[in-house]
Amino acid sequence: MTEGRLFRWLRPWVFPALLVGAFEWYARRAAALGSDALAPPSAAAKAFVGAALDGSLWQATGFTLGTAALGLLIGAMLGIALGLVLGLSRRAAQLGSVSIEVLRPVPSVALIPLAMLAFGFGVRMELAIVAFATFWPLLVLVQSAVQQIEPRLLEVSRVLGLSARERAFKIVLPAIVPRLFVALRLGVAVALVVAVTVEIAANPNGMGYAMMIAQQSFDPALMLAWLGWIGVVGFAVNAGMVLLQRTVARRMGVMP
Amino acid sequence: MNSNDRAPSGLHWLGSFAVLCALVALWWIASNAGWVSRVFLPTPQATFASLLEGLNLSGDSGNGELLAFTQATVGRMVEGWLLASLFGVVLGAAIGVSPAVRAWIQPTLEFIRPLPASALLPLAISIFGLNPGMVLFVVAFGAMWPVLLATVHGFAAVEPRLAEVARCLQMSRAAYIWKMGLPNAMPDILAGMRLALTIALIVAVVGEMIASQSGLGQAILLAARAFRASDLFAGIVLLGLIGFVSNALLAFAEKRLLRWQQP
Amino acid sequence: MQATPFLRFDGVAIRLGGREILSPTSFDVARGEFVCIVGPSGCGKTTLLRAASGLVTASAGEVRRNGVKMTEPSREVAFVFQDYGRALLPWRTVEGNVSLALEAAGVPAAERAPRIADVLGKVGLAKHAQKFPVQLSGGMQQRAQIARCLAQKPELMMMDEPFGALDALTRQSLQDELARLVRDDGLTVLFVTHDLEEAIYLGDRVIALQANPGPGRPSLARMIDVKIPRPRDQLTTKEHPDYLQLRRELFAFIEQGHD
Repeated sequence: MTEGRLFRWLRPWVFPALLVGAFEWYARRAAALGSDALAPPSAAAKAFVGAALDGSLWQATGFTLGTAALGLLIGAMLGIALGLVLGLSRRAAQLGSVSIEVLRPVPSVALIPLAMLAFGFGVRMELAIVAFATFWPLLVLVQSAVQQIEPRLLEVSRVLGLSARERAFKIVLPAIVPRLFVALRLGVAVALVVAVTVEIAANPNGMGYAMMIAQQSFDPALMLAWLGWIGVVGFAVNAGMVLLQRTVARRMGVMP
Repeated sequence: MNSNDRAPSGLHWLGSFAVLCALVALWWIASNAGWVSRVFLPTPQATFASLLEGLNLSGDSGNGELLAFTQATVGRMVEGWLLASLFGVVLGAAIGVSPAVRAWIQPTLEFIRPLPASALLPLAISIFGLNPGMVLFVVAFGAMWPVLLATVHGFAAVEPRLAEVARCLQMSRAAYIWKMGLPNAMPDILAGMRLALTIALIVAVVGEMIASQSGLGQAILLAARAFRASDLFAGIVLLGLIGFVSNALLAFAEKRLLRWQQP
Repeated sequence: MQATPFLRFDGVAIRLGGREILSPTSFDVARGEFVCIVGPSGCGKTTLLRAASGLVTASAGEVRRNGVKMTEPSREVAFVFQDYGRALLPWRTVEGNVSLALEAAGVPAAERAPRIADVLGKVGLAKHAQKFPVQLSGGMQQRAQIARCLAQKPELMMMDEPFGALDALTRQSLQDELARLVRDDGLTVLFVTHDLEEAIYLGDRVIALQANPGPGRPSLARMIDVKIPRPRDQLTTKEHPDYLQLRRELFAFIEQGHD
């Protein structure tokens, strides 16, 4: 029995180990032939440890995660608020529909130069773009979640004469919590991706920028280290959110 | 709240458009009255003028650059997306159809899923240098993953009853993949292709920005650096339009292809 | 007596998940017979059917059709599932679903259309050939599944509580349609149901299984021949003295099994 379990624990690592091994062999050969475009994973690991020890890893990671979180906070609060309103009022939803359909398709990266112009480089610019990018999916998902609330519950609230505030806090919000967490999970993923993308494209801060600088200074080992680290951070954050979402769903007795 | 009012009538569309016009009016006032500096917020008229000039629609004062840039960006996006969809579906089917292969490879796929596609740009620049091919490669590679993951999921999730029907009919493996696996995966694949399209646009724009490739991405970056706000906004409007049209087309195609879902 | 019976169950026992679902069961089925299998839930009647069609392997004993041991599903043995909605391809029309059976059998395209039309006519779905399953009622979906099974031109038809999920009126009309189809095509049918009256109404023979028979005792508890003449109909057959007597017998037997 334990052999089976050991096998299942190890199996996910076999394929990536093979890939990394193949990459190591190929990169070493390429380096021997004089190419400096790639570095073997072993060199990347060394560069990673170096960055961790001299603090640059933590500083850049902190910047990206912090800015993404803050931007998500803003985008989510606005998106949830508007989503609640549009979900509860069919008239408001209809009135807002054209404007939303016109503004939503604008890719967040298109606003990078505008944010640059308005805020210069730094936290505010990235914050604004992450907020914009996370606002839309949260708006749409919360609106849809509210519209899908069991109509019976809303009728009950009318019969009981609940005020709008009471209705929002006692019926609407609890009813949408499972779907809300699904939306937040998506929001977290979007926030992180957009933050890194903004750093790659323009903002001279954070993990994306560190990776770009490494490439531009012809340090492929460090560049690959950052690429791997960005992958790990993204995976960890998403996995954490899935865990959180599942815990909430189980606590609320609902499967989203 | 009138819950009997189901179908959006012409009046509702009018109301919705009115709201949009109100927002544009707000924009007009804010920029013309100087509430927000015209460095960041050009007037609607200036934006419109830049659009016309750039698209060569304003007679002889235009330079038609925006049209060429739009074509370049759209071309990159569509080419990359088509490549991504093709490879994504083929690879996804190959992986998804065999539970054994899935067991070994799926965890790796789940690790790659959250990775931003644009993060591959520095690596690609390192390998390929700064040229259009490099951008196309990253666009295609980045956009492939949603399609691949969706295809794997679609093939993996065939209704078990249908799999039994296939056994009862003694269907060959190839017939099973073509007649059951693929149609069953179609809703997932189409959803993946829609996501791939948004990623393709994003990576195309970012790629143009950092690799100085001719296109809307580079155009708006240069416009911002030169403080040409109206040109910047014109570019943003075009990018929004590209996003809107491409999504609408795909949604329409999805509806046609998935007709069988509607009672 | 026939030399080789058409279908023979020889000591068929099935274990699933560590439990013996069916203890060794043996009986024969003659060609053209309509055999109904009844029993409480957990007695293994569905599992017996699935083993007979090769979807599940028996842990002991064997099923032989025409003397040949059955281990894998075969096109000659059609299977009608209870959850008809999930057994139809939602992306194909009724016609497309029936066509699937012909395509699998390698019937050339030109021949398919007339055969599909013929089989749809038999089940009364000719007018709905171009509809998608989602547009059909439960009864029509089940008919579509039956049509696909008929298109296989099977020797043997396995039916797993096919009318269980339908309302009473639909069930009655489908029972009569099925009886007619089976008679016209001379099909051999193994029909699992939890409805005793349905079993007597439709069957030439009723086999009653019991759940948890205990060690050494067979799952197969009773085998009753239904000698009521055909064609049968919902009104007069159910007042026939033989019908009423069999009904009493079976009810009493099942009640016994519950003590």
